[in-house]
Amino acid sequence: MDLSFSEQDEAYRQKLRNWIADNGDLATRTMKGIDDQGDRNPIQAMRDWQRHLYEAGYVGMSWPKAYGGYECSLTEQVIVNEELARTHLPPTINTIGLTIVAPTLIQHGNEDQKKEHLKRILRGDDIWCQGFSEPGAGSDLASLRTGAVVEDDQFVVTGQKVWTSVGPIADRCVLLVRTDKDAPKREGITYLLVDMKSEGITVKPLRNAGGGSHFSEVFFDEVKVPRENMVGELHGGWAIARSTLDNERSGLSGVVALENNFKKLLELVDAGTRGGKPALEDPKTLNQIAQYWIEIEGLRYLGYRTLSEQLKGQKPGPQASVGKLFSSKLRQAMAKSALEIAGPYAALTKKSPHVLNRGRWVAGFFDSLGYSIGGGTSEIMHNVIAERVLELPRSVED
Amino acid sequence: MEFQLSSDQLAIRDAVTKFLSEEWDLSERRRALDDGPVKISDTLWQQILDMGWIGIAVSEGKGGSGLELLTSAMLVEEAAQVLFPSRLCSALASAYALDQCESAGMSALLASHMTGKTFVALAVDEANADYGPENNSTTATLSGEEGLLTGQKILVPDTDVAEHFLVAARLGDKGALIRVATDAPGLTITPMERIDAQCVSELELKDVAFSTEDILGGADGAQAALHRAYEFWTTLISADLLGVTTTALKVTNAYAKERHQFNRPIGSFQAVSHRLADVKMDEEVGRSLLYGACLALQERPDESSPQVSAAKAWLSDAATRATEAALQLHGGIGYTWELDVHLLLRQARSHAVYLGDADYHRKRIGAYLAEQLKSSAAEAQR
Repeated sequence: MDLSFSEQDEAYRQKLRNWIADNGDLATRTMKGIDDQGDRNPIQAMRDWQRHLYEAGYVGMSWPKAYGGYECSLTEQVIVNEELARTHLPPTINTIGLTIVAPTLIQHGNEDQKKEHLKRILRGDDIWCQGFSEPGAGSDLASLRTGAVVEDDQFVVTGQKVWTSVGPIADRCVLLVRTDKDAPKREGITYLLVDMKSEGITVKPLRNAGGGSHFSEVFFDEVKVPRENMVGELHGGWAIARSTLDNERSGLSGVVALENNFKKLLELVDAGTRGGKPALEDPKTLNQIAQYWIEIEGLRYLGYRTLSEQLKGQKPGPQASVGKLFSSKLRQAMAKSALEIAGPYAALTKKSPHVLNRGRWVAGFFDSLGYSIGGGTSEIMHNVIAERVLELPRSVED
Repeated sequence: MEFQLSSDQLAIRDAVTKFLSEEWDLSERRRALDDGPVKISDTLWQQILDMGWIGIAVSEGKGGSGLELLTSAMLVEEAAQVLFPSRLCSALASAYALDQCESAGMSALLASHMTGKTFVALAVDEANADYGPENNSTTATLSGEEGLLTGQKILVPDTDVAEHFLVAARLGDKGALIRVATDAPGLTITPMERIDAQCVSELELKDVAFSTEDILGGADGAQAALHRAYEFWTTLISADLLGVTTTALKVTNAYAKERHQFNRPIGSFQAVSHRLADVKMDEEVGRSLLYGACLALQERPDESSPQVSAAKAWLSDAATRATEAALQLHGGIGYTWELDVHLLLRQARSHAVYLGDADYHRKRIGAYLAEQLKSSAAEAQR
């Protein structure tokens, strides 16, 4: 067993650290919402940031060079994920484009589609959103009803999508539509690429339970989509969507985020009190904190096991699929502990003059609740482990 | 970067699985519940000694194979999957403890232990003190080269075959492991009858004589030898808990596919399948933590306690949950004497409170985190 990286990889890490150190001002400016032109424009600033990251070689690392990628090794990708998460740099704005749309196009798109979109995704020129879920099709995604009729050389789309992250700022959308109402539900779905400026699209921001609005509803009213924007075959969209739905991000960057959360929690414990005494002397608090440390360690080693398999060219084992379920549970438990330690201050809004740490703990609590719903609910993740890993019979017939 | 079993380890694992499936009869565990304790036949144990299992982690210079600690953990996990007695854990841990010492006497004892001439067992847990190597009410006092040992130890393993004990005791202001012969005057051994029917006893020590040569690692190395032995043994018990978890999941998963109610396999009901998915998650996190503990022990043995404790805390809880789920999901048949599920539950419960329960190990991690905070605050002040 050996967790060390090669000398070459460590040199690569050092080069990245130097880049990060040299671009600290750029990162700060981006976080203040100032773009390359010096204007206050937070969205443009985030696009610019992604382009700088890309030009430095830290976006699209695994992609083919022919489409603007860098074809880096897996360990280099892991190093970049780790370092970027550790240093609290701004994230890439085009997450859906990078993690869902691009892998789909690389695998299933035609040459024109790849040429048209991939580089723009990398540079942050086009921000993509995902039109999959509907009010009546959440966990049971394949029952979606947004319809598309084929007319000459175009589709005409009518229906509604929901939970669409970055909808209000997106330039383009990957959309699942029903093109055959009479076929079995998985056999009548088509995968489209849609320009969000098309006539007939209305985006309404949705506020989440915590008060923020990271997602939206998207309405389609006879929206015309050229036929060349279809990915794969007509009625063949379900398999394409499935192939990237499971696209697991390297588990290790998620662990760094949890480690960052844990550090903040530890600072709260250090400063807080329980029952009139320092929280650090409270056995129950220490016991909880220790449990979180154990679970983060567990996730980290789980990530190393997966990485180790991938490096050998093996398909990740069953441990890879437990990561999401486990980490969302852990995230919520940590957020609840933070509120317990915050004590009476836990019920104050950000606006209160008495609020603790500018409301970070309450925001973190609401934020944590989304993790067991978005990207597949924990109930569905249980089904996935039961059916695909334990090979138990399907619980739902359809 | 390599964090999985190597092809050599996989080959050893397969050989171990094959050997145990041919030579070990699980019904011995059931027999022992009525007429205990659990026995391993002399022939079988001799075969194990001949294959060199006990010296698998011992340095090559001392006649062992010098394989990485993960190999030992893997061996124990495989053995636990078929409920092979924990004498294997105990023997590996004693060998590791003796390997920490350079004296000729201890090296000779190690050689004798590895070939089966003299079985050496560790005595750590106490009734009168908290868990852990640093908490001993058993006291050793030295005057010159000679000393006396007084106190009580519980759950000491393999007293049916042991000829020497390595007793954890307080020596001055430090901890130490002190060798005592099982027939030493002043030592009384009383069997304790544990729910898993393995042979464990209480030791009562009243002014048991020893000399400085019996202190593992000598005066200077004593504390480190005790701590390393404790961390390694604890890790092996974690591996044992993982093996039990794996088997509990395997048999229950198979049953959930085959048992029908309401004209469907019960594994198609989410109340059943989701609980099994949780056990799977427990198992995979546990296996990852076990690998982490082995790596820490291998690379920095004197700073490995947080990782060792993480694995033991997690697997103590996980094995308990897994075996309880196994009993529940088997329904009525799971609650019978005939089914093997209660054997797994007994072993899990016994080891969950052995060498520190989950709460103790979380307490150790809590203390480590508090220490980290203090040192980073001190760092910041400077």
